[in-house]
This record gives sequence, C-alpha cells and structure tokens, in this order.
Amino acid sequence: MAAVDVPLPELGKDAGDEARVSFWYVDVGEKVAEGADLVQMLTDKATFDIPSPVAGKVAKLLAAEEQSVKVGQVLCQIEVGG
Amino acid sequence: MIARRAVLPAAQSEQRVGDETKTTKAGRFPPWLRKRVPARGEAAEVRRLLAELDLATVCSGAHCPNLPECYARGTATFLILGNSCTRSCRFCAIEKRPPGALREDEPQAVAEAAARLKLRHVVITSVTRDDLPDGGAGHFARTIRAVRERLPQTVIEVLTPDFRGSREAVETVLAAGPDIFNHNVETVPRLYAAIRPEADYRRSLAVLAHAKSRATGGMPTPPLRGHASAADATACPANEALGMPPATLACGHRIYTKSGLMLGLGETAGEVRACLADLRAAGCDIVTIGQYLAPSSAHQPVARFVEPGEFAAWEAEARALGFAAVASGPFVRSSYHAESVFANRARGNEAPAPARAGGAKGDAAYGRR
Repeated sequence: MAAVDVPLPELGKDAGDEARVSFWYVDVGEKVAEGADLVQMLTDKATFDIPSPVAGKVAKLLAAEEQSVKVGQVLCQIEVGG
Repeated sequence: MIARRAVLPAAQSEQRVGDETKTTKAGRFPPWLRKRVPARGEAAEVRRLLAELDLATVCSGAHCPNLPECYARGTATFLILGNSCTRSCRFCAIEKRPPGALREDEPQAVAEAAARLKLRHVVITSVTRDDLPDGGAGHFARTIRAVRERLPQTVIEVLTPDFRGSREAVETVLAAGPDIFNHNVETVPRLYAAIRPEADYRRSLAVLAHAKSRATGGMPTPPLRGHASAADATACPANEALGMPPATLACGHRIYTKSGLMLGLGETAGEVRACLADLRAAGCDIVTIGQYLAPSSAHQPVARFVEPGEFAAWEAEARALGFAAVASGPFVRSSYHAESVFANRARGNEAPAPARAGGAKGDAAYGRR
C-alpha cells in the first residue's frame, strides 16, 4: 500500500503562488479512477478541476474548502495498490 | 460522485453576470471559464527543461490559465529579451522593472528547447524593450535563425512588441524569415489610454501593415533552409500546415501576419467590429479573440465575461471579413493552439474535455451584443 501525494499543479501561477480550494468532489475513503476529478480550485483567472493522477482510494484531504494552497503544496493523498 | 457536491457548480453558475461590471473575485467565474487540468502529461518535463535552460515563458509570466494544458501537450511560448518589461500595460502580469542585459546565448537556448520538445510550431514572444536601440529586433532575428538552423521544418511564429513603430526593426525581424509575424493590438483604440498607456493603436496597425507590405512586396526574405526556391514551396511546413496550393504561398517570400484582441475590457461591439476591419485593412491574415482575465486584483478588472456564443459570432464575422484563420473563444490566447489555428482548423475554445455540469449553451448568448 502506497500513498501518492497530489500536489497543487502550476495553474499559470508560479511555485509559491496560491490558489483557493473551491470544493472537494471526493471524500476520504472514496475510490477514484485515474483522471477522476478530485477538487475544484480557483485562481484570479479561472476555475480548475484537478484530476487524480492514479486510481486508488482517497486517504487524506490536506486542504479545507476556502483554504488557500500554494503551488506544489500537497492537496490530498491517494492510496494505491490496496 | 456525491449528490451533495453535484449542486455546487450549478449554484456557482447562477452567480454569473452579463453586461454588468464585475470583478474576478474568486468563485465568481461563469461556468465556461472552467479548465480541466490534465491528469498526466509532460508538464513536469517541460518545466524541468525550461529551468535547465533558464528560459522564461509568457505562459508563466502572464499566469495563463492554459499553462497546465499546454505544458502537458509539450508546448510553451518562449519569452525572450528578459522577463521584465519597460511598459506598464494594466492587463499584463509581467514584471515592470528596469530590464537587465541581454542574454547572448538565449537564441541557442530557445533553439535547444524547441528541438528537445520536438516542436513543429514554435512561438517566440518578448517583453517590450524600449531601452534598447533596436527594441530587441536583432535578438528576435538571431533567435529565429537559431531555431531555423536546428529545426528547418518547423513553423516559426514571432509575437513582437511594436518596436516604437520602427520600420527598420520590423524589417530586421522579417529578414530572419519567420513564417508568421504576430503583433497584438490587444484592445480597441478608445481603451489604449487606460489599458496600454505607452502604446498607440495606429502605430500597432502600421507595424502590421508594414510587415505585410514587406512580406508580399519587393523584399523577398531568404528562402527557408532546405527549400531552393519559391518553386519548392510544396515542401514548406507553413504551406503544408495551411493546406494551401503552392501558388498561394511562395515559400520564403510571404509571411503571414497575425494579431489579437482581448474582449471584456469594456469595449463595445461596434468598436470590436471597427477594430477587425482595421486589421483587415492592414492586411492581417490571422486573428485571435479571447476573454481578458485579470492576473490579480491589482490589475485592470474584468468589465464583462463574454459568452461562448458571442465569441462564435465574432469568429463568423471575422471570417466573413476575409481573415484566413480565426480563433475566437474564452480561453483563446495569442499562441493557444497556434499550430492548429495556423492550420485553419481552430474552432474557438479547444478545451481537452467538455465542461460537465453547468456547461454553457453557446447560442443562448446571441444577441448580447
């Protein structure tokens, strides 16, 4: 069992810049397919849906809705190979 | 997924406002300004390569919302001549600091990056360098030549500043033989004072008109590498991309001109129409029309979110005016999908996946203008 970190990608913003968590599409314990949307983020320019890079189960959500997150900061962990 | 979440995008879409002035406060974007980030791709690889070669991109400099998608597709628009600008346009996120010295090896670095990314269509843009005697035109030319040397079959598009209207500077760039000469008017003339205070609408049109006149006039640019003459145009990458018969494109003797404007800054439909007509009168071949999005709350606020159907109507109108290629859509940017725009296939916003909940209905927006 391994946990894969899902960091906030560079949404046009550089490392250190922030985006805001709009809402989570998933909850802890939920199974997700690769490419399934995990969370919706907001920047000054647009709304972004962040997909899961792997198939697995949501292990941890590390950012709350409305919270600002820096580019590169881990949003959640997905458990794979369970 | 879960029902309690499903209602949220719809709730957000109700917040969209039509013609009223509104800010880009997070959470208030209309549903069509929603991007899906690719789950996998070469984004990290592109970033690594750019860092290794110490190259800047306008994608990052402008906080472009298309960046994740474009990087994942293995493409980027190079920003040369440094990453700080001598002008203070209110729409732009690029830093306004006194620029430093030119990097002599930058042309080679761009060529190296383009080669490693295996780009078939390279877009090179720059900050404005009013501090340099030639406005950076020589550096543009060196970069074009370096890329041509490495990738003779690649279409080279330059997106230049206005060079303060210097015809000599424009000719320096053209002499290096780019396939597409792009200079953006950005907005309608009435808004220049507020949006592009150091620029001049008529001057920008003159730059485009001059580029066109030199490209089709008496000063043939050198034949592309690998093409002996204009007669060899069938093998020209630009020709191939446009799917035009050889007679239409004399390879190395004609350069396509391109421009773009942002909507949502407060312009009227009549002003946009007049601007498109001005561009055609300047001989502009290709036009891009996209939604202005404020890089931060410190920048010019968005006056209006233009609906997808309205972009589609502008596309039709631009085509009717005779533009050879048009890209018009909320996420269209000057170099967004430049390769397919050039190939005349673009149909506005080519997001990789259609929006799900709350997807905009294009034709509902007709009549807004």
